[in-house]
Amino acid sequence: MTDMSQATVRVSDLRKTFYDESRGEVHAVDGLSFDCHPGEVFGLLGANGAGKTTTLRMLSTVLKPSGGTASVMGHDIERDPEAVRRSLGFYSASTALYPRLTARETIEFFTRINGYPAERVQQRVEELVDRFGIAEYQKGRVDKLSSGMKQKVSIARTMAHDPPVLIFDEPTVGLDVMNALAMVKVIRELKEEGKTIIFSSHIMSEVEKLCDRIGIVHRGKLLALGTLDELRAVTGEHYLEDVFLDYVKRAEGIVGEAEIGPAGALHAAGDELPDRSP
Amino acid sequence: MTGTLFRNELRMVFRDTRTVLIAVVAPLVLFPLFIFITNFVEERESARLDSATYEFAVTGERSAWADDIVRTALNLDTAGLAIAPASFDRVMTQNADSLLEAGDLHVLVVGRDAVPGDSVAADVPVLELRFRASSDFSRNARNRMEERLLAVRTQLRDSVFQAAGFPVALDEVVVFESDNVASAEKEAGSFLGGVLVPFLILLMLSGGSIVAADSISGEKERGTLETLLTTASSRRDIVNAKLGAIMAVGLAVGLVNIANIGVYIGLGILDLPETLRIGIGVDTLLILLLLTIPLVVMVGAALLLLSGVSNSYKEYQIYFLPLFLVFLLPSMAAFLPGVELSSAIAFVPISGLAVATRALLMGDWHWIWGAIALGSTGAAGWLLLQRTEAALSNERLITSAGADEVEFRGGAALFPREVLTWFVGFWVVFFVVSLWFGEALGVRGQVLVNLWVIFLGGSILLIRRYGLDVRETLQLYAPHWRAWPAVIIGAPSALVLAIGLFGLVNRYLFPVPESLLESFGQSLTADISLWQLIIFVTIMPGVLEEIAFRGVLLSGLRKHLKKPWLAVLVSAAIFGVFHVSLFRIVPTAFLGVVLALVVVRTGSIFPAMLWHFLNNFLAVVPQEMGWIVIDQMEGVGTVWYALAVVGATASWLMMANRSGQLPPEPAGRPTKP
Repeated sequence: MTDMSQATVRVSDLRKTFYDESRGEVHAVDGLSFDCHPGEVFGLLGANGAGKTTTLRMLSTVLKPSGGTASVMGHDIERDPEAVRRSLGFYSASTALYPRLTARETIEFFTRINGYPAERVQQRVEELVDRFGIAEYQKGRVDKLSSGMKQKVSIARTMAHDPPVLIFDEPTVGLDVMNALAMVKVIRELKEEGKTIIFSSHIMSEVEKLCDRIGIVHRGKLLALGTLDELRAVTGEHYLEDVFLDYVKRAEGIVGEAEIGPAGALHAAGDELPDRSP
Repeated sequence: MTGTLFRNELRMVFRDTRTVLIAVVAPLVLFPLFIFITNFVEERESARLDSATYEFAVTGERSAWADDIVRTALNLDTAGLAIAPASFDRVMTQNADSLLEAGDLHVLVVGRDAVPGDSVAADVPVLELRFRASSDFSRNARNRMEERLLAVRTQLRDSVFQAAGFPVALDEVVVFESDNVASAEKEAGSFLGGVLVPFLILLMLSGGSIVAADSISGEKERGTLETLLTTASSRRDIVNAKLGAIMAVGLAVGLVNIANIGVYIGLGILDLPETLRIGIGVDTLLILLLLTIPLVVMVGAALLLLSGVSNSYKEYQIYFLPLFLVFLLPSMAAFLPGVELSSAIAFVPISGLAVATRALLMGDWHWIWGAIALGSTGAAGWLLLQRTEAALSNERLITSAGADEVEFRGGAALFPREVLTWFVGFWVVFFVVSLWFGEALGVRGQVLVNLWVIFLGGSILLIRRYGLDVRETLQLYAPHWRAWPAVIIGAPSALVLAIGLFGLVNRYLFPVPESLLESFGQSLTADISLWQLIIFVTIMPGVLEEIAFRGVLLSGLRKHLKKPWLAVLVSAAIFGVFHVSLFRIVPTAFLGVVLALVVVRTGSIFPAMLWHFLNNFLAVVPQEMGWIVIDQMEGVGTVWYALAVVGATASWLMMANRSGQLPPEPAGRPTKP
């Protein structure tokens, strides 16, 4: 059961502006607000470049917000970034492993530097090695492992310190069908264990299967936020793909204003704010 | 947590077989091999040169005369003379020059009459030795032949003089002997002390670089940096761990190499140079270790920063060579002629340590100056570490687009951030001008270039480039009327206090040689008339230095450094170092503090201009004109100091009403209404 009383991740009017020599001022994230709760998989759905990764990188504190606030387990991402990082595990296609460490050393290293109690580190490593079936190749160097094995080690290192919040940024990108399915299975298990999971993807079927609530992100703004059924009800579409397209078209002004249903409650606060004048 | 990170760094270094091979095994084998082969080749070569028979010929219109001398030279009894053994073989030939060129002759002796261009009278015969400098044998033949010919000349000369009734042998008219009074220890210390720092830097750079390249730029390239940055470890821990690994491996590689050389010397394969035989006491050794700490930290920090700003191995390698030179060149400072530890060199990172190390090993150690040298390099290392930590927080590590609005927009908002860099650039120009063109320009020329080109030109450049508001930047506001009497009272008071301060500094910190003071006074006023003195030394600096330092610099610093007092101190320190001679830095910086305070307190630059003018006028003109005489080493009487304190306080209180405007709050923070 989803416990809606306490939010583990709170994002409020989060903004990130980049200044690029060629593109000028780019509002990559433009006033995003959402909450996530324990035992919930929250999905960020959006096309490439919609601002999903930038949002998640701000949550993991490697990028600083240009405006707004966010907190993880009550820790503010700007005031207490180390406590935030201690409370979350961050997995993405751009977080590689150290090639010269063995699988086991990798898990042990990340368990330690994430501040897991030293006396319980070995026990934790054993648990993870067992859980992901790494025992067989735990002494093998990472650069010698297959991509499926690497993926397991990567997941293990992400949850090495048993964080309450896990962020998976496009975790299935570049994986074959079997590995992608394995990834989905792990995320389900974590949800059952009561973890808060933020999952970003542009693959509709995955989001459909996994996510309890979905936020549709487009050009840095949250177009919609709700359960799949709620989104279906607003748009009148059944397939998530069509739901998504419907929202995007409305945002782009392709469909007339009159056709938009009473979806105000589902709209994100950021969508209704006027653009901040520079 | 730093410990875990550090162990991980080392583990990754030592798992890379290439690293171990290049850092440890290669020097272990290659270095002695190199020395062994060099020695072997040298021995073979000199044996070959000694045992060779050199072919020579004699030609020229005075060949008969030349032939005579050469014959005498080759039959010379070389016992007791410093002449190397060699055997010569005469070749009879008509085309000696072409044989020499073809390599069949080693040296050609030409007997001829003097020609215009020879530095002798026209009828004096000349012996000319022709050889090919490109051939070892030809060079050697010329040298050996010349030695013998010179010995013959000495004999001939002596016999001529004796025949003329000269009473003593020529060389006995005055007999020279040199006697080295420096102990062997001191001499060895001078050499070893000079080479130690460059050697250490070389080892640290080569050993540490292997780790540094891998450490941040390698992580970027392999994509592990984002993994690391999203863990709970702090940026500071990561920087410390990586620095630790660089220093540990750099030192380890250094020690392995030194031990390696030691083993070869112990085995007798290599000879320890005579100049390196030196006994070091425990206290000296401890100070030496203390000196190496900031050096090792600074080199490590520089390598890590380089790794942090490079996006790949390749970029790192491109930047490495310039970095190498930037470190190696200043480390050679100890070899500069006449350089002493107790001078401005102590303030230069690395150079200061190099000179301090030599002073230590020569037994000329001085604690205060040594501490300054330690401090300057240590501070530079610390700054580099701060930069590295900032580099790890730089979002460009993660994304390609920047998120820095000020940098993107440029203009007046960017100016406060870059003002310091600009003034460092101005200082370099200023320094180069005084170093290279100082003589040519003369005192007046230098003053003109500094004031009009560097200070005023630089100010105009910055104002235009960043589109600064001239009025606000230069604080061109009318002050309250009370500011003017405040300046009239304050300037002389502060001058008296400055003289007192200078006396204290001179007595307790940096004794300034009296000769230096005198030469400064002379250089300033040599052949300058009163009106020129007033224009060059009082009016122009009063206006132009204020525009540059209390106008452009101070306004930029007040926005950049959040605390006003910090802006005052930093602007004063920079004002100080724009006066090259070391002993003027402290009094000038003191004046800089006073003038910056005047601007901040009155909200206008004009009182500071008047103050600066009065200060320079009172400091220079009455003495130069002989109106009064102040002995700078003695200072003035206590009564004067008391009056000065009263005057300065009164001036301070009178300036309290500011009518000008403070610069607005730094960009990005809300402006208070």
